[in-house]
Amino acid sequence: MNNLESLLTGFAAALTLTNLGFGLIGTFLGTLVGVLPGIGPALAIALLLPITYTVSPASALIMFASIYYGAMYGGSTTSILLNTPGESGSVITALEGNKMARRGRAGAALATAAIGSFIAGTIATLILAFTAPSIADLAVKVGSADYVALMLVAFTTVSSLLGSSQIRGFIALSIGLALGLVGADLQSGLSRMTFGSDAALEGIATVAVIVSIFALGEALYLASRFKDSGWKVLPMKGKALMTREDLKRSWKPWIRGTFLGFPLGVVPAGGSEVPTFLSYSLEKKLSKHPEEFGEGAIEGVAGPEAANNANAAGALVPLLALGLPTSATAAVILVAFQTYQIQPGPTLFLTNGALIWTLIASLFIGNTLLLILNLPLVRVWVKLLQIPRPYLFAGIVTFALMGSYAVKTSIFDVQVAIAIGVLGFLFRRFGMPITPLILGLILGPNLELQFRRALQISGGDYGTLWASPLSKILYIVLFTVLFSPLIIRFIRKIRRVRGDTSVS
Amino acid sequence: MKLPQGGKSELTFVGSLFLLGALVLWDTYTVELPAFNLTISPKAFPYGIATLLMSLSVILFINVLRGDTAVPEGHIEGEPIARSDYKAFGLVLASLLAFLLLIERAGFVIAASTTFFGITVAFGNKRHARAAIFGVLFITIVYLAFTQLLNVPLPAGIFKGLL
Repeated sequence: MNNLESLLTGFAAALTLTNLGFGLIGTFLGTLVGVLPGIGPALAIALLLPITYTVSPASALIMFASIYYGAMYGGSTTSILLNTPGESGSVITALEGNKMARRGRAGAALATAAIGSFIAGTIATLILAFTAPSIADLAVKVGSADYVALMLVAFTTVSSLLGSSQIRGFIALSIGLALGLVGADLQSGLSRMTFGSDAALEGIATVAVIVSIFALGEALYLASRFKDSGWKVLPMKGKALMTREDLKRSWKPWIRGTFLGFPLGVVPAGGSEVPTFLSYSLEKKLSKHPEEFGEGAIEGVAGPEAANNANAAGALVPLLALGLPTSATAAVILVAFQTYQIQPGPTLFLTNGALIWTLIASLFIGNTLLLILNLPLVRVWVKLLQIPRPYLFAGIVTFALMGSYAVKTSIFDVQVAIAIGVLGFLFRRFGMPITPLILGLILGPNLELQFRRALQISGGDYGTLWASPLSKILYIVLFTVLFSPLIIRFIRKIRRVRGDTSVS
Repeated sequence: MKLPQGGKSELTFVGSLFLLGALVLWDTYTVELPAFNLTISPKAFPYGIATLLMSLSVILFINVLRGDTAVPEGHIEGEPIARSDYKAFGLVLASLLAFLLLIERAGFVIAASTTFFGITVAFGNKRHARAAIFGVLFITIVYLAFTQLLNVPLPAGIFKGLL
């Protein structure tokens, strides 16, 4: 069967009443968490992981993917009307979008964000459908040593590109790796970091960590530092519509944003911050109205929003084809796969082809539902921002505690959750990024497994780690990213020295 | 040398991360290896992670001393950093611990309602009676939805047989 046929079969499976229902719930919840500042898709999916015990894999994964896409739509609404990004990919949207809203052009900003997200999401999902299987075919040849290199590159880029400083990113990563150690070692049965606790032998539940570091950490942080700052929602006049002129200025940024966002989602570039920022700078450079940037230029909303959505679809490629998550949300979706005993990776399209094609088909359906949910119904979402913050956070916190308890019905996980919640507070207070910790926790045990496997095959010869051409390229990438801050500083120094001599 | 604002507490934090690394090192050192032979010892990774964490904390500690203090999330660089409101922090933490203590003794509804109420107080809600009533209703609906519709087991506690 070729890809198109498989996709059509996927559509047939995705269009059953149950799956459509879960998709609709997912798009709804996704938009909701996207709109509400402080909670994002990673948290929402982690909170819903307990349903994997009772719901079929297809339905649950459709719902989770819809949440992922939906949060990208919802985030832009908050950025535009509130100037507080709903989630990290919408930080750039706030720059121009909020200025537009201040000048009474909220409707046009919301429309270009939603339509741009739809176009980018659809194109990117199409590319996903036709490239992921071929990448998976290639990936079958990827050996354990190459996986080790891939994971090390993912760790390095995510730790280097997120947050304010590289070293804080790497510390976050090593804390995640240390948390991943807890429990009985899979190969030898050696208990590590358990300190005599039987409950700890099973390891730390990833769900408890993800839920608490986002929800409990955020609650502790906001309560102690930003308690009084309420939300001031800008009024929105008229409908979310664009004029002909707006459309003319928007369509090119949409396309450019898509083709910038997708590849940067495929490679581990640390999430949506980098592509949205690049798209913004690109549009600023190419714009015929550069003077409008900073005052509410529509290109500055259209480009980054498209890049953001295409990026989310791009991140699904390494997740499905290699089993390698490149963002916090993708990492949580990986955990969802694993609770069904499904291991994403090169063989996924062979072993669970029907499931994956249903998932991809439902992404197209979800995208269409999201456009409908977000354009005419945008006022409903704006109303949600009027929920008083004490009630909102009380709800989020109790859901988070319930989630960490319900996964294994264990009190130990609640203890872990509270401890991690305090850690999440400290991370926010001391400017440490959270995504490297999550990647370290989830990929750390996998890295150790592949590392040992590679060395077992080679009989203890470490040369095997960089023997293949792919791993050589990956290590070059790794060292470039690792030392790029030093290299940039060095070049600047040379330039300054040259500048000084030329002046004197 | 005078540290920038918030520098002292950051040094304490980074210092405790160093101790965390030392803890991993100590735990790995003291645990006994299984009898059979493996190509790569199960101690190799823990040693590596401990070394990484400890050396990075030392570098960050020096960086902080030299003035590279953290910018808290949601702050703008250069803006003065306000002191944390420890009363609100303590209230949130107490609400979390209440859930831990009550969930298996009193059941989900009581534990979660207590937490819900505590968080509304911590976030500055003044109408306590309203928050309490709303919390109990909301939590009861959540409890019924999860146990009856989604088949997620949650402890009934003292309401066993009633709910």
